[in-house]
Amino acid sequence: MSLGASSSAVHINAPGAQRLPVAVRLDATAVFTILDHHLRKRDNQKRVIGTLMGIRTESDVQVRSAFAVLHSETADQVAIDEEYFQNMLEVTQKVQTREQIVGWYSTGSELNNFSALFQNYYAQQTGPHQAIHLLVDTGDRTKEFGIKAYLGSPMGVSAKPDNCVFVPVPVTLRQADGERPGLNLLRTASEEPNHTTPVLTDLQNLERSLLDVISMIDRVQNYVQSVIDGDIQGDPAIGRFLLDTLNTTTEGLEKGKLESLFNIHVQDTLMVSYLANLVRSQAEVSSRLTLVT
Amino acid sequence: MATSMAAAIAASLPAPTAATPSSVKPTYDAIPASMSKVIDIQAEIPITSVQLDAMVVSKIIKHGRESAFGTGTLLGLDFDGTVEVSNCFSLPAFPEEEDKAAKAVAQANYQRKVIGHLREVQGDENAVGFYQTTTVPLRQSLVDLQAADNARLRQGGILVVHDPSQASRGIASFRAYRLTPQFMSAYKQKKFATQSLIEHRLTFSSIFEELPIRIHTSALASAFLSMVSKPSSPTTLQSYAARSMTTLARPYSSLPPDFSHLDLGLPSAVTRNLEQVVEGLDSYRTEENNVAYLTRQIAREKTRADAYVTTRKEENARRIAQGLSPLPEEDVSRLFKIPPEPSRLESMLLLGQIDASAKNLEEATGTGLVRIYAAQDP
Repeated sequence: MSLGASSSAVHINAPGAQRLPVAVRLDATAVFTILDHHLRKRDNQKRVIGTLMGIRTESDVQVRSAFAVLHSETADQVAIDEEYFQNMLEVTQKVQTREQIVGWYSTGSELNNFSALFQNYYAQQTGPHQAIHLLVDTGDRTKEFGIKAYLGSPMGVSAKPDNCVFVPVPVTLRQADGERPGLNLLRTASEEPNHTTPVLTDLQNLERSLLDVISMIDRVQNYVQSVIDGDIQGDPAIGRFLLDTLNTTTEGLEKGKLESLFNIHVQDTLMVSYLANLVRSQAEVSSRLTLVT
Repeated sequence: MATSMAAAIAASLPAPTAATPSSVKPTYDAIPASMSKVIDIQAEIPITSVQLDAMVVSKIIKHGRESAFGTGTLLGLDFDGTVEVSNCFSLPAFPEEEDKAAKAVAQANYQRKVIGHLREVQGDENAVGFYQTTTVPLRQSLVDLQAADNARLRQGGILVVHDPSQASRGIASFRAYRLTPQFMSAYKQKKFATQSLIEHRLTFSSIFEELPIRIHTSALASAFLSMVSKPSSPTTLQSYAARSMTTLARPYSSLPPDFSHLDLGLPSAVTRNLEQVVEGLDSYRTEENNVAYLTRQIAREKTRADAYVTTRKEENARRIAQGLSPLPEEDVSRLFKIPPEPSRLESMLLLGQIDASAKNLEEATGTGLVRIYAAQDP
């Protein structure tokens, strides 16, 4: 249930923890922020880290946004710019009043003992709750883009800050209703050859959706045809699903009813459209008249 | 030719975002001849389009979802006529009661603080404009905000408006504007009387000029988006479930395709839009009444002043005829307070608002018609 590369998520009740989040739900905004930060890292930096802000609910942790944190990492020591961290936290919380620190992110593909130290640091910030760690693998080395979430669990008889077991937790992409159109727009952009797209108009959007549906119908037709021809073995589940879809028709309505409903709707729409036009021309005339006097 | 060359170079270059770390002394290299056409230090190349980064789009949408009238600062660069907005941050909502000056100071302080912090992690540090999430396209506060920073920002800065209410129709609505020079010159003089409007040829449609927007996703963001929209293979459990039930399992992709554009009904969006138009008309009517009242007031005072001047003249003529010294002609403007001509800015903005709402409505109904005819049985 990780995004991208597969992982085996297990849940372990760590002793002494308050309540463990069972799932991490990630906003696209946070991911974009992390990726942007990664793009801006200095050449000598191996990875970038930052703070995750979000909201805890009964069952999951919602990661809503993120901000970058300065850190330095050498062969034998790490440091976080604490002052920067606190300042950034202060300005962030002025705007996003509901969001708290829920954990930290890092780019790259490995968890090392520095990760354990960071985890320890963030656990102090998020106490009494567990801090989550989001590992965003940009595929530099592994060639596969993936996002994984972990909880830290102390290891050994006597817990030491640099010893930590990272327990994977499932992570899913959270999308609010209002976000869908935006994400679709971004997806359109990402599919273009130069990753750029103009903002689509209403009609263009409609056209795209229709083309999508047509291609899907084509796919189904091909599939059905090849099942009939005996080229491939039919899947009964798909068959039943298709039957269900075909059974949803408007036959339940009386014969003339649908037509009258259709006409009413068209008339309403035309009326509103006429009104809108009228208002616009009136507004234009009015503003011109002001200039005439 | 020069522009196309410049555009080609612009496309092949990585976004020049090298912020010099504060500890290192910045060194200034001479701009190579090939780049001199596209890098304009004096801000001479006029802005013709706006490019938003994926992160900016996503952040603005998030802000729009959380607060009705969210404002924020856009950071980025202008490069060969295109403003590349690569980052943004939201400004906290300062309480309305605070006086305007204090609010502006608090806002500026906050802005400076955040930009300073972003600089430390190699972020962009040039403010290029503002964004606003609002359902009402033109508002006085918006114009004030934009006009106030016009002088500080390069080329006056840009304004990106996002309308979160359009999301219910499946549209991510982003528009970019900049204030026109005519409006700015009128604004600087703080004169919006009829005469000044005529001089500057100002109507609601010439306050802002709209700039085309393009959306850009970085290579990493594209990789992420393609990863989440790619259908992943179902887990073993899901495929067993699909076999034994009459329904197929949900699409296995994290970002499944969206078909809300094909929804036929959608009365709510049109109704809300219609309400907006009607509300706009109502407030325009109120504003017109105010202006008319003030105009009548001016006319009344003027008549009284004129009447006074005439009587005084007649009296003087009579006195001269009688051989008396004439009474001094007093300054009328001191005796009668003729109120200044009312500002037409508010009513102009309201008209613009009505026009924009009506335009939205027109678009919505237009698409609605296409949609319903498409759904009709052939």
